[in-house]
Amino acid sequence: MKKLTALFLTLSLLLSLSGCALAEEPVRIVFWHSASEAAGALVEKYVKDFNDTVGKEKGIQVEAVFQGAYADSVSKMNGILTAKQFDTLPDVMQLDATGKVSFSSAETAYTVDQALIDHPETDLSSMLAPAMANWQLKGAQLGLPFATSTTVTYYNKTALDAAGFAAPKTLTDVGALAALNADGVTVYAAIPNTPTLANWLGQLGSDLVNNHNGTEGSATELSCIENGALAEFLTAWKALYASGALANKNGSGDEFVAGRQLIMTDSSSKVANMMAKIDGRFELGIAPYLKVSDSSASGATVSGSCLVMFDHGDARKEAAWAFVQYLTSASVQADFAAGTGYLPANKEAQESETWQALIAEYPVYQVGLNQLLETPDTMRSVTVGPSADFYYGIINDISDMLESDLSVEETVDLMANDLGGMLAQYAKANP
Amino acid sequence: MKSKKGEWTLGALAVCLGCLVLFPLFYGLMGAFKSPAEFVAWPPTVLPRSFGYLKNFETVFTQLPMLRYFWNTLVVSVFSTVIKLAIALLAAYAFVYFDFAGKKALFFLLLGTMMLPPDTLTITNYQTVSHLGLLDTYLGIGIVSFVGASQMFMLRQHFLSSPKPIREAAQMDGCGDVRFIAFILTPMSMPLLLTLFLQAFVIQWNAYLWPLLVTNTNEMRTVQIGITMLTTLEGTNYETVLAGAAVALIPAVLLFLFLRKAITRTMSGGAIVG
Amino acid sequence: MSRTIAPRRRFSVKPYLFLLPMLVFAVGFVYYPFLKTCLQSVSTVNFRGEITGFAGFDNFAYLFSRREFSIALENTVKLMAINVPITVVITLGLAWLCSRPHPLHSVYETMFSLPMVVSMASISLIFKVLLNPSVGWLNYALGLDIGWYEDRHTAMSGILLLTIWMGIGFNFLLFLSAFRSLPPDMLGSAALDGAGKFRTLIRIQLPLISPTVLYVVCTNMIQAMMTNGPILILTQGGPSRSTTTLIYLMYTSGYASSNYSLAAAVSMAAFALTLLFSLLLFGMEKRKVHYQ
Repeated sequence: MKKLTALFLTLSLLLSLSGCALAEEPVRIVFWHSASEAAGALVEKYVKDFNDTVGKEKGIQVEAVFQGAYADSVSKMNGILTAKQFDTLPDVMQLDATGKVSFSSAETAYTVDQALIDHPETDLSSMLAPAMANWQLKGAQLGLPFATSTTVTYYNKTALDAAGFAAPKTLTDVGALAALNADGVTVYAAIPNTPTLANWLGQLGSDLVNNHNGTEGSATELSCIENGALAEFLTAWKALYASGALANKNGSGDEFVAGRQLIMTDSSSKVANMMAKIDGRFELGIAPYLKVSDSSASGATVSGSCLVMFDHGDARKEAAWAFVQYLTSASVQADFAAGTGYLPANKEAQESETWQALIAEYPVYQVGLNQLLETPDTMRSVTVGPSADFYYGIINDISDMLESDLSVEETVDLMANDLGGMLAQYAKANP
Repeated sequence: MKSKKGEWTLGALAVCLGCLVLFPLFYGLMGAFKSPAEFVAWPPTVLPRSFGYLKNFETVFTQLPMLRYFWNTLVVSVFSTVIKLAIALLAAYAFVYFDFAGKKALFFLLLGTMMLPPDTLTITNYQTVSHLGLLDTYLGIGIVSFVGASQMFMLRQHFLSSPKPIREAAQMDGCGDVRFIAFILTPMSMPLLLTLFLQAFVIQWNAYLWPLLVTNTNEMRTVQIGITMLTTLEGTNYETVLAGAAVALIPAVLLFLFLRKAITRTMSGGAIVG
Repeated sequence: MSRTIAPRRRFSVKPYLFLLPMLVFAVGFVYYPFLKTCLQSVSTVNFRGEITGFAGFDNFAYLFSRREFSIALENTVKLMAINVPITVVITLGLAWLCSRPHPLHSVYETMFSLPMVVSMASISLIFKVLLNPSVGWLNYALGLDIGWYEDRHTAMSGILLLTIWMGIGFNFLLFLSAFRSLPPDMLGSAALDGAGKFRTLIRIQLPLISPTVLYVVCTNMIQAMMTNGPILILTQGGPSRSTTTLIYLMYTSGYASSNYSLAAAVSMAAFALTLLFSLLLFGMEKRKVHYQ
């Protein structure tokens, strides 16, 4: 019996081998993603759907590999690039803003611009313009937006209603809520970092760093010092702290959902998760990102991640492009938005039934999308070389201003020195 | 000589201290049975409402190929620990039983490896391992931990304190170095070797940064990478992470309990007299 | 190092053969990358890790000019200075408690040594929850209102609490086996002389196990020096740099910011510090430590 089974197995193996040799071998590509939980399950589903439909038709099989958080995935890519092991790179990768510089200089990067030369028939006009712009660097379109979000203001509507307050629009409005500070409850907790500071400076009409926030060339210095924008923001921030409504620590989702922090500024993509955790204990309100003052522009830049490609020969490049287009198509984008809280990066997705039904049930989802559309396109997210250092530098300097009661001028000098120094050092090593 | 009462007070005190030490683990394990809403509810509790909420464990096993991760980690931990100890044993043997030129310098050269923070060596080692074509292999994960200077040091201390005439007698009987190591030295050092094995195994089992860097595919991942992948972009779901941590702990704890017994048994056979 | 059991004899290649495997791996995976780090610390290195020129002392000058450096240095020394003595006292005390046979000894011995198998990632996450001011149980149970990892004044204490816990298991085991391997007749005669338990510990047992004490102090010092994982998971060096250690500085300002020459310079500083403390300890060894 055993022998028979073995014989059968060998035969079927031989048959399948010869069958493979005869039939067209599918093109296999690898997709690295950083989507977990709800988003992760959806991404796995899209991969399976693609393999069963478009992939089957075109002879493409995608293998999805979860690579952990964006930071893990980016540091893995950096490691491979420094070791020049280009074969190890995937065909398609989900990348956040911190990976832009490395990717754009990768020898085997296959940018959207290159893909459009290979496929001139492609029409990308339905993609959301601000989302597309976020993934450009020095004039090149690096990737296509996949998980798109923006920073919004979450507030505890139940608590604010009870005290007779409307949704806060500006930092001053938040300051007026100081009376709600009570035992174990803070009104607002935040420390500005690279993207949030850039948003507030952008509202004041200024970039954080030169070369249009590092998108049109390498950032080498701060560009918010001489125009006074940094000083203006810091003054407003200090006033907010003086009002007592601001706690000088990072906002915490746990505190907010536990009802111990009333206002939080965070990514719009957290809506679904937050509603699940609040579990009906209070009503969640969402408002556009806080403005510095009444006179400043409103809005915040795009955040999230895009899909980039690497060159592994013509067949795999073509397969990768087909897969990227599938993931950014209207139907997938609408479905992904409905399941997570990310915003559809494809305009056609906004007209889809899925999205419309979602908006009808949870109007809060619309806030982020509207904000994205209304944000002036001069506001760009920041790309700097020493990204982690820069990020924590901003946090520490501004937090020190409040803790050590430094004057606004002193803080501006401090930041010019610290952050400017990092940019100069980086520029020196990477001319 | 001690009074019975004193003895029991001592025992009770020790067990209480033990509970205090283990409390964080107990707390973590209990948290794994909580639902997300239960987790953020005020006031916080230690015990879950019920032990019926198993969704967190379900998430761990459905979202990740946990068994595969266990297997990978086990293979890497066992083989790299054995190699590490073997290499350290040979080196310790050379240092204790031979006199040779450059002995002192070589000893401090090897001991010096302990003082170099591994985090500072990662990038270059990654390049070495990838040039050797060992990315995504068990050997690639284990190879950077083959140098066990502290194990070498402990074994040397142990050999130094062992009775001197043993080797001379063995040599008189015509027993060569390899046979002496294999049949006399190794059995003689068993308690220490088991302790060192346990320590090195656990360190390898718990390794995080390096395996994360050198594995690119799901098939080669280790448990620690798996559980940290449970944290999400939408915010940490503590309960799922705690479930993952609990699951990852079990094999290490089992091995520990098993080896502990062996170590105490061999240990009490040696120096201790009631 | 003159302590040897070997008789002096003619040159033989044998000992080198026994040392060869360890030397190969030590050179390949420790000293080669270390030398590369040395080289990078005096070079200009681009964001892809390629050396593009000679920088002399520039990288160090830049490092020393950063405000973070002195803070990180202070934090690292603080961590080491608090962590090591507390760990030694706790584990030594526990081991001493367990050194006498007792009907329950295997129970509490297991309890005390169990922390050694718990992974840094797991226990850091557990502490993150336990000490969380909004969902954690500790503050509530003890009636405290401490921000722990969210407050610059307490974050380091939180990290210390965790690293001390992580050090209990293995160090306890080391001390325990040291106590157990003491010749019992020596303790017996001390007891006959009427020496109290505590005096026996200080006067007789401690000197005898001093090699183990030295080893534990040394390894823990190096470990404290290299503390990075819990900080990465729990505080990211904050709030306000209050938990930024040298290795963490190397990680964020260096690697994560593609500034490899800065990372190399911090590594050299960390290495110099470790070397300094080790030399001090080994200087003490010569005078104080008794080998059997």
